[in-house]
Amino acid sequence: MSNREQRLAWRKTGGVKTLRHELPVTFGALAALGALVAAMSGDSFTLNILASTFLFAGLATAWNVIGGLGGQFSLGHSVFFAIGAFTVSNLYLGLQVSPWLALLPAALLSAVLGVLISWPVFRLRGPFFAIATMAMTEVLLSLSLYFDRFTGGSRGVSIPFRAGLQNMIFRDRLSYALLMLGFLAVCLVVMAAVTRSRLGYSLQAVRDNEDAAAAAGIDVLRTKLAGMAISAALTGMGGVLYIMYVRVADPPTLFSLFDIGVKMALIALIGGIGTIYGPMLGALLIIPLESWLRAELGGSIPGANLIVLGFILMLTALFLRRGIVGGLKRLWSRPGAAKGAGR
Amino acid sequence: MAEFLNIVAIGLLLGGIYSLVSVGLNLIFGVIRIVNFAQGEFVMLGMYGAFAAQVAMGMDPYIAPVVVAPALFALGCVVYWILLRPLQGEPMMQVFATFGLLMVLENVVLALTRGVSLSVNSAAAQISMSLGPVQMPLARILVLVAATVVAGALGWWLRVTLPGKAIRAVAQDRKAARLMGINVERMYMVSFGVGAALAGLAGCLLAPLYSMSPQIGMNFIMPAFAVVVLGGLGSVAGAYVGGFIVGLTEALAGFYLDPALKHAVLFLVFIAVLIIRPAGLFGVAGAEEVGLREQS
Repeated sequence: MSNREQRLAWRKTGGVKTLRHELPVTFGALAALGALVAAMSGDSFTLNILASTFLFAGLATAWNVIGGLGGQFSLGHSVFFAIGAFTVSNLYLGLQVSPWLALLPAALLSAVLGVLISWPVFRLRGPFFAIATMAMTEVLLSLSLYFDRFTGGSRGVSIPFRAGLQNMIFRDRLSYALLMLGFLAVCLVVMAAVTRSRLGYSLQAVRDNEDAAAAAGIDVLRTKLAGMAISAALTGMGGVLYIMYVRVADPPTLFSLFDIGVKMALIALIGGIGTIYGPMLGALLIIPLESWLRAELGGSIPGANLIVLGFILMLTALFLRRGIVGGLKRLWSRPGAAKGAGR
Repeated sequence: MAEFLNIVAIGLLLGGIYSLVSVGLNLIFGVIRIVNFAQGEFVMLGMYGAFAAQVAMGMDPYIAPVVVAPALFALGCVVYWILLRPLQGEPMMQVFATFGLLMVLENVVLALTRGVSLSVNSAAAQISMSLGPVQMPLARILVLVAATVVAGALGWWLRVTLPGKAIRAVAQDRKAARLMGINVERMYMVSFGVGAALAGLAGCLLAPLYSMSPQIGMNFIMPAFAVVVLGGLGSVAGAYVGGFIVGLTEALAGFYLDPALKHAVLFLVFIAVLIIRPAGLFGVAGAEEVGLREQS
């Protein structure tokens, strides 16, 4: 943020920006997306793309709580995604619990697991943390293939098509697009609330300098664990919605490093790490681009969409470290202030 | 007893594969501390390079390193100069950039081969040797021998020769190394190139053992990180031994517990070592911080 912006924000609110100042922007963004859905309500192809765009926007926002604000670059969030998916598949298929009710235990279980896994791993910093979370994904993938009673093993689980609101299974694509938009709304509001809370400022302090944060009286481990729990809970809910949407999934898909774990992180990176709306913008750019590339080039050049995504990732790491939001901010501020806002 | 010996032999031969795959990463991540997730893809390119050399020139995969390793050295230098030089001291951006590189390399090969799995032939691939009750395929023994020779040579090169000393100096303190008249950027580029070339060498020697697919690099990258960290960052001998620890753990867990659980056990051991002793089993305590501190 440039000095001028900071001064303006200060003058307007007479101090720290709070959630009350943030919510109108959040709801404005959501209303715009709702209008987009309404405009496309007859086109089920576009609605499909919008549904997965909103899902990944929500997931990337969830990742951003610990990855962006807290600076803990987890590449293992697919673990929580899979936990959510398997919680609902077991509760719904085994005990006939409505998926809506299963959202709560799925979120809780993901949060608890997030805390338990991260407790030891948070001792590691930087790339070592990222590598350890990747290894953790491998461990849980093997375990989930071994304990096939809960996960269906390598065959996976399939959820029979029984349309109905209480089953969270719909005939039309519009309902799914709205469902995923609702998920994105929850994630954005949580992210906005965390960003403008004491926890959010603690997380940012830990990200910028762990030792200084500890010296300032912040309980570093507890802050990271709280951030991880919130992030994991939201990711678990995303897993619930995903499996009710596709209705067929096996452990390698749900634990996928590329399609889930790394994708959440890279969407957040491309949009703007640590910002409230960056991950949403990243998903709005990446997911439609990817499905367009897959449809256009997938037949003639297999994997063309991933080649393009790989190049985007490299270019973002090289030239746009603050993502789309950071780039826009740099354009916004005066040329003189650009140096400070750029990096 | 014969059964146990067989399992140990399998584990040791597997360890040889992991050691060989990890020497390049050991130089790149262990010594000069660049996080390279595309290292498995360099191995994959080495395998396809061996295939191309066989198709084009009728080369045996055990001779192919003569052309493949220099090619990967050049590729490594280019990758370092364009992609990683601007990201010095930013390990997380290196993670993302090399992940992007991984996706590009993997899918370019997929697009070129259209997903057909390929294999190479070698006269050595069919021979099997027996030692008491233990049967060992020659191709795997050659990998084990190559891993030993390469690790020994790399250790000697880093310890004794002037470029080796320069590389270690650059990793320890960039500024002081520059003051001693070392061309820092060139040293990094050469190290990265050598690391890529070693991956290419590994790929050639592994080519007769596997049927190739563009995704095969992913099978190597996590064990390779486990090997490098387990053995000890910056310790060539440690990474050599680390390969056998990983191989034996995988073989023993796969046989005595359940084949489905071998990766779970392996990576749990890895995470445990990472947490309890981040510098690795043979590394100097605090070695994990070298090169990741802020430097000018």
